Amino acid sequence: MRGAAVRIENLTKIYPDGTRALNGVSFSVTPGEFLIIIGLSGSGKSTLMRCINRLVEPTSGKIFVDDVEVTALAPDELRRMRRQIGMIFQQFNLVKRSPVITNVLSGRLGYVPPAWSLYNYFPRDLREQAVAHLTTVGIPEKAHTRADQLSGGQQQRVGIARALMQDPKLILADEPVASLDPATSHSVLRYVEELNRRDGITVMCSLHFLSLARRYGTRLIALKAGEIAFEGLPSEIDEQRFKEIFGEEAVEVEIA
Amino acid sequence: MGPNTETPVPRAPEVPRPGAGALRVILWLIFLGVIYVYGWQVTQINLGELGRKAYLIRPLLRDLIRPDLVERRPRLQVADTGIGLDGATPPAPLQTGGSGRVTINPVTAKVGDPVSVAGEGFAPSRPAEVIWFDQSGVKVHLSKTSTDVSGRFQATVTVPNVIGTEHHVMVEVGLEGTTLGPSNALRLTLFRMVETVFLALMGTTMAVFLAVPLSFLGAKNLMARNPLGALIYYAVRTVFNIARSIEPLILATVFAVWVGIGPFAGVMALGIHSIASLGKLYSEQIESIDPGPIEAITATGASMLQVVRYAVVPQIVPPFIAFTIYRWDINVRMSTVIGFVGGGGIGFLLMQYINLLQWKQAATAVWAITLVVAAMDYFSAVVREKVV
Ligand SMILES: Nc1ncnc2c1ncn2[C@@H]1O[C@H](COP(=O)(O)OP(=O)(O)O)[C@@H](O)[C@H]1O
Ligand SMILES: [Mg+2]
Repeated sequence: MRGAAVRIENLTKIYPDGTRALNGVSFSVTPGEFLIIIGLSGSGKSTLMRCINRLVEPTSGKIFVDDVEVTALAPDELRRMRRQIGMIFQQFNLVKRSPVITNVLSGRLGYVPPAWSLYNYFPRDLREQAVAHLTTVGIPEKAHTRADQLSGGQQQRVGIARALMQDPKLILADEPVASLDPATSHSVLRYVEELNRRDGITVMCSLHFLSLARRYGTRLIALKAGEIAFEGLPSEIDEQRFKEIFGEEAVEVEIA
Repeated sequence: MGPNTETPVPRAPEVPRPGAGALRVILWLIFLGVIYVYGWQVTQINLGELGRKAYLIRPLLRDLIRPDLVERRPRLQVADTGIGLDGATPPAPLQTGGSGRVTINPVTAKVGDPVSVAGEGFAPSRPAEVIWFDQSGVKVHLSKTSTDVSGRFQATVTVPNVIGTEHHVMVEVGLEGTTLGPSNALRLTLFRMVETVFLALMGTTMAVFLAVPLSFLGAKNLMARNPLGALIYYAVRTVFNIARSIEPLILATVFAVWVGIGPFAGVMALGIHSIASLGKLYSEQIESIDPGPIEAITATGASMLQVVRYAVVPQIVPPFIAFTIYRWDINVRMSTVIGFVGGGGIGFLLMQYINLLQWKQAATAVWAITLVVAAMDYFSAVVREKVV
C-alpha cells in the first residue's frame, strides 16, 4: 500500500465573518511522510486540515491529493475522495451513545450500500475487520462497550480504528492528543506512527507541543496567523527557533 | 499543563456599611409582613376548622383502608342453548361442560312466537330463571320458575322484541350459598383505569406525531440561519410557550364543552398540552446536538442520510423516547384528575362516587389511581434508564 501525495497551492480561507484563517498557503507532502503542523491556537491548523477534505470550503487556491484536484470535485466524487482520507479529531468525535464497534464500522459507510445503513447492517467480514482494527489499537475487549464509557485515550484509539476502517491513503489528525495527558499522548501517537511506518499511510498531524513534534514528525510546518512561518526537518527547529517564530511568551505554554 | 499556573491572590470581599444594611433588612421585613398578613386574610386560612370539621372527612379516611373490592353473589348453575330467528341456523351454546342441559322447541322462531323451554340435570328444588341473551350481550329476563325434585323444569316463554338472528336461551338456577367475586366498583374501576391509561397513551401519541416535526422548526441551530427561518422559529416557540402555559384542566373543560364529556375531551386536552411541552423538550435536544460526530461521519465519505442515521439519530432518538415515556407517565397522572372536569377516565368515576358519598367505592378508585401512578412512575424510570 502506498500513501497519498498532497499538494496545496496558494490556499486561502476567509470565513463569512471576515476572518482570514489561511492566507496563500502552499506546500507539498510526499507519500509516506509524517508531516507535523504546529502553530499557536488560532493560527489556522484546523482550518487547513478541514480544507483538505472540504469539511471547510476553501475561498481560493487548489488542493491535490494524488493529482486529483479535491477543490474541483463534484459532491459524489468528493464523497469517494473522502472515504480514502481518515480523520482524527481533538475531541474524538465519537457517537457517544453508540457502541464502540458501531463507531468503528461507521468508518466504512462511504463504501457500503446506503440501504444497509437503515438497519445498521454490516456484513460479517466488515465486523471482523473492525475487531481486528480494535486489536491493532489494543482494545478488542471494548467492542461492545458504549463509547462514552471509555477513557479519553481509549476513545481516541477508537477514532484511529474508525479511520483505519476507511483503508485510508492519508490520515488527517487535528490535534489528536491535545485533550490527553502526556503518557496517553505518546501511546496514541505511537499507533499513528505505526500505521505510517508499517502501511506507508501519509499522515498530516497538527500538534501543540514541540517535543511531540520532534519525536514523531519526518517533516514540520509551522503556521503563524494563517501563513507558513517555517518548513523543514523537525531537528532543524529547537526552542530558540521556536521563540523566534512565535515570540518569547508563546514558548512557556507551548512546550511541555 | 503550563508550569506557570498562577494561584490567584485571595481578595477580601467588600463589606457594606452596617447602618445601610440594617435599614434595608427592616424595610424588607415590613414589606414581607404586609404581604403575608394580606395573604392570610384573602385565603381565609382557618387552622381551627381542620380540627372542628374533622368528622366530615372521617368516613372517607375510615373507608380508605377498606375499599370496596369484593362482594358476595348468589351461586348460579347456568346452561344455555342457541336459537335462530327468522329461519337462521341456531348458534352453538355458549356454556359447555356444566351438568345442566336446556332444550327448546322450536329451535327457530320469530319475535312474539311462544317457545317451550325444558331443562334437566339441574340442582333439585331450586329457583330457576329463563333469560334471553341477545347478540350484543344484553340480557332480558323472561320467566321465573323452579326445578322439581329430579332437577327438571318446564316453561313457555315468548320471543322478546330483539334484533339480529342469532340468540341464546339461558337458564340460571340459584344454588345454596354465595360466591366471592370482584365487586361492581372494582370492575368499573378497572375498566375506567384502563380507559385512563389509554387516554394518556392516545393523547401522548397524538402529541408525538405533531411535536416531532414542529420541534425541528423550533430548533434555533437549524432555523435561525436566514430571516424566514428565524421568523418560523420564533412563531413555533411562541406557540409552544402559550400552549404549555394553559393548564390541561382548563383545556379539558373547553373540550368537554366542544366534543362532549368523555375520554375524547381528555385526549384532546392532554394532546394539546403535550405537543407544546414535548415540542419544547425535543427542540432543546436538537439544539444541543454535538456537531463533532456529524463532522466525523461526513469526513468518512458517508452520504447525507447515513450521516443522519449514524450521527444525528443516536443523539436525538433515545432522549426523545425518554421524554415521551416521561410525558406519558405525567399524562396518566393528569388524566386521573382530568375526569373531574369531564375528560373521562377514572377521575370521572371517582367524582361520581364522591358526589354520591360512596366512600368505599371512592376508596377503590383512589387506590387504583395510586397503584397505577406508582407503577407508571417506576416503569418510566426503568425505561428511561435503559434508553438514555
Ligand atoms: N467557523 C468559523 N467562523 C469564523 N471564524 C472561524 C471559524 N473557525 C475558525 N475561525 C477563525 O479562524 C482562525 C483559525 O482557526 P483554526 O483553524 O481553528 O485555528 P487552530 O486550529 O490553529 O486553533 C481563528 O482566528 C478562528 O477564530
Ligand atoms: Mg484547532
